[in-house]
Amino acid sequence: MFRSLRKPETQSVSININGQTVQVAEGSSLWAAMALHGETQTRLASVSGQQRSAYCAMGVCFECLVEINGVPNQQACMTTVEEGMHVSSQHLTEQSIAALHQKESADHE
Amino acid sequence: MSDIFDIAIIGAGPGGMSAALEAAQQGASVAVLDRKATPGGQIYRDVTQSPLLDPSVLGREYTEGAELVRAFLEADIDRHQNADVWHIGENGEVLYSQDNQTRRLVARELIISPGAMERPFPIEGWHLPGVMTAGSAQVMLKSDGMVKDGAIFAGTGPLLYLIVAQYLRLGVTVNAVVDTTPAGGVGRAMQHLGGALRKPAYLIKGLKLLNEIRRAGVPVFRHASNLSILGESKAVGLQFQQDGRTHSINAGHIFLHQGVIPNLNMTRALGMEHHWAEQQLCWTPVLDDWGQSSIPHIAVVGDAAGIQGAEAARHAGRLAALKAMNKLGKLNDADLQQESSANLKAIKSFKAFRSFLDAYYPPTPEHRIPVATNTLVCRCEEQTMGQLRAGFEQGAKDPNALKALTRCGMGPCQGRQCGHTVSELLADWQNKPVSDIGYYRLRSPQRLLSVEELSQFQNIKPVQKPAEVSA
Amino acid sequence: MNFDAIIIGGGIHGSATAYYLAKAGLKTLVLEKDYVGRHASGVNAGGVRLLGRDFAEVPLSKEAMSRWQTLDDELDGDTGFRRRSLINIAIDDADMSKIQTRINSLAGLGYNHEVQIDQQELRERLPHVAHNCVGGVVSEQDGYAIPYKATTAFRRAAERLGATFHEGETLANLRQIGDTWQVRTDKATYDAGTVINCSGAWADKTAMMMGDNTPLSHSAPMLMITARMPHFAGPVVGAISRQLSFKQFENGTVLIGGGAKGFADRDSNHTTLDYKKLALAAETTKTFFPIMKTAVINRMWAGLEAYMPDNLPVIGAGVNARNAYHAFGFSAHGFQLGPVVGDVLTQLITTGKTNFDLNPFRIDRFERKVL
Repeated sequence: MFRSLRKPETQSVSININGQTVQVAEGSSLWAAMALHGETQTRLASVSGQQRSAYCAMGVCFECLVEINGVPNQQACMTTVEEGMHVSSQHLTEQSIAALHQKESADHE
Repeated sequence: MSDIFDIAIIGAGPGGMSAALEAAQQGASVAVLDRKATPGGQIYRDVTQSPLLDPSVLGREYTEGAELVRAFLEADIDRHQNADVWHIGENGEVLYSQDNQTRRLVARELIISPGAMERPFPIEGWHLPGVMTAGSAQVMLKSDGMVKDGAIFAGTGPLLYLIVAQYLRLGVTVNAVVDTTPAGGVGRAMQHLGGALRKPAYLIKGLKLLNEIRRAGVPVFRHASNLSILGESKAVGLQFQQDGRTHSINAGHIFLHQGVIPNLNMTRALGMEHHWAEQQLCWTPVLDDWGQSSIPHIAVVGDAAGIQGAEAARHAGRLAALKAMNKLGKLNDADLQQESSANLKAIKSFKAFRSFLDAYYPPTPEHRIPVATNTLVCRCEEQTMGQLRAGFEQGAKDPNALKALTRCGMGPCQGRQCGHTVSELLADWQNKPVSDIGYYRLRSPQRLLSVEELSQFQNIKPVQKPAEVSA
Repeated sequence: MNFDAIIIGGGIHGSATAYYLAKAGLKTLVLEKDYVGRHASGVNAGGVRLLGRDFAEVPLSKEAMSRWQTLDDELDGDTGFRRRSLINIAIDDADMSKIQTRINSLAGLGYNHEVQIDQQELRERLPHVAHNCVGGVVSEQDGYAIPYKATTAFRRAAERLGATFHEGETLANLRQIGDTWQVRTDKATYDAGTVINCSGAWADKTAMMMGDNTPLSHSAPMLMITARMPHFAGPVVGAISRQLSFKQFENGTVLIGGGAKGFADRDSNHTTLDYKKLALAAETTKTFFPIMKTAVINRMWAGLEAYMPDNLPVIGAGVNARNAYHAFGFSAHGFQLGPVVGDVLTQLITTGKTNFDLNPFRIDRFERKVL
């Protein structure tokens, strides 16, 4: 498990990671916030579907792509946490099928 | 306020900040675009707002950066943080994303300083969760005060020892150091010893770090070779050879490092001329002593211009700014020469020292040019060395042809993690010099750009006014 | 060195022509100044389209389309072809009546490959389409292939039959001496009985060396591709009255085209993008398919392509020299014709005739026209 040596007086914000609401240090990178809560899986490899995690933590490997507020393919290491942010590990692979929203399918009738 | 500047600088590391300070002092209108939330680059990351109680454990080379960052923050410069440049036009137009919208500025002269990245380490299992770079350990420590106990650090180069020493000073446990530096380093580097002796403090520092690690009781395996990561769905250990014997160490986390290379997506996308630097085993833009590139109004400074380190980057930044002022007609030729001489001399001595380091800590061939057919070369598109070889045998002898045939280099990282490996593999297979092989043809955008953001391009915003820029 | 035929240009038409000529037993050389598939043939959108073709092209395009269905077997290679159908979407009644008019005209010529669909069927085929779309027209055999793979498949098949490919070799000069073409490059000189101009964006220069003038222009059609998206569109998608054109590949990436052109400098192989036009294409795609709001663009590029004033290619014999042939100027829709044009040229070269009417594609059609 990753651990934090951050000085204690830091302010915190509340974000949701994979369905759990957690308190994280204000100004944290999203990758650090995830890792400190044991959520180290960022994305699935697009072809094999294998689990992947951050590799470089500085924006050049694109392994830490996650879904932020419903938008996939965001680099967790390059994102600063914001109050109320909803984050989930990215499960998008080349097999993924797009869901039809309720509203859209209703309009079909 | 205008969105036209005398000089725009991309990247606020030591090179970019020094260039900006010099240009501002000489009276130019200067804009600096930096993709991070705070200036400092990778080396001085968050130096003025460290999350650590005592940042001095990170060493003086780090804390001394605070002075430069503060000077930068106080100077008359248009600073734009979280400004992620996705396109630089040959005409001087710069497009960047900020708060999910594209903004634009135009500069008469451009100084770009996109920095370095760690050399890819394509060995079996390097893509598994639990494998990260040693540089990432530093990034996480500097920015978030986040550490990992019980990890193995493997590879070669000064940064590897530095981060291990920093971990130990902070009481973080280290499982082992597996050092791939080949035996005979001094002999290998002897012809560059003169360079090293010009910077004795650095030389001694390296030795001190190694001693510090040994004294702490961390096992150090020297002259290790043939590294591979153990594990199926995540890393469980590291296997390597030493003195003809195979060793395995169990660990859930492995930090790899074998030096750094220029982060060249921006310079490549600009169509700048590059050459293969045999000494540093990487592609490097072709530049003159002032950092001037093959594109008339664009200079490159910092490690993106060839790995020289933070101090050399400061000198290079100042030189590029002086040259830009000269080109703008604000500094005459004689003054340019006079103002430049000390910096030119300083850079020369850093280059000599770097030659020593490059020779002493070479990234070994088996960790650059994969030997196992199932080693992933392209992490994004999951292309193995064997698959690339098959593509090569179908006639794809050029990196772009291989890319078109196999998708290697087509993923989100845009070849950052496979480009050098592919150049070296294709050279190896054809028994040609790497310089004959070339690299991927890259294009803007340099980042993933949302369709939503791109579709608003018709109403593109100019650069934000300083008052709007959040602190 | 002597060859029966020398082809100038290693794009899909050069490679395919080499394949058919070699199959007919001719000793064939392809000269390519860069590498095979470097330009339009390797980096185009990969559309394999019969829908919406100019009537003059329909016979060739229909023949090509039936060949695409089994091309991988024919070439013993992987062209990446997938039959997916192509739908051009209608957004209003005016679009629908345009479709009807065209289908009627096609029927008059004996063709029935374009079929009108109503709103319900459109939504069944493209469930994520915007609700204001009222119908469309579909061509069932259409789909896509992977351009560089397809070009490579032709090249490899040609090589297996004995054709030779020289990459990185630039044509310098052509001279016809008696029945022999002397072909001089930057590296060597060859003799050949026949020369074939498949030089794409550079074809007017080659044509000139063969004695034929041609009003070719060149441009840089732009493309962009997203990172992987969950699958939402099986068919290839276009629109009747908007610049919409995209396809979602099997791997989930979405390629957006639409014909917008950037800037091209063919002397340096260099193209420059026009982001305003790309932005419009992004906007259009998002309007027709709201799911595209969450897409991210991964890469943008442009290829160098040859255009003719009437957007029809030049295919056939040269008019000012014997044993000289042309296939170029496909005006950004030549990829699909890959499996037929080379065969037609081979028929011309070996028998002197072909079943197809090539009059609309004559190289001298602009000179004969009285304006």
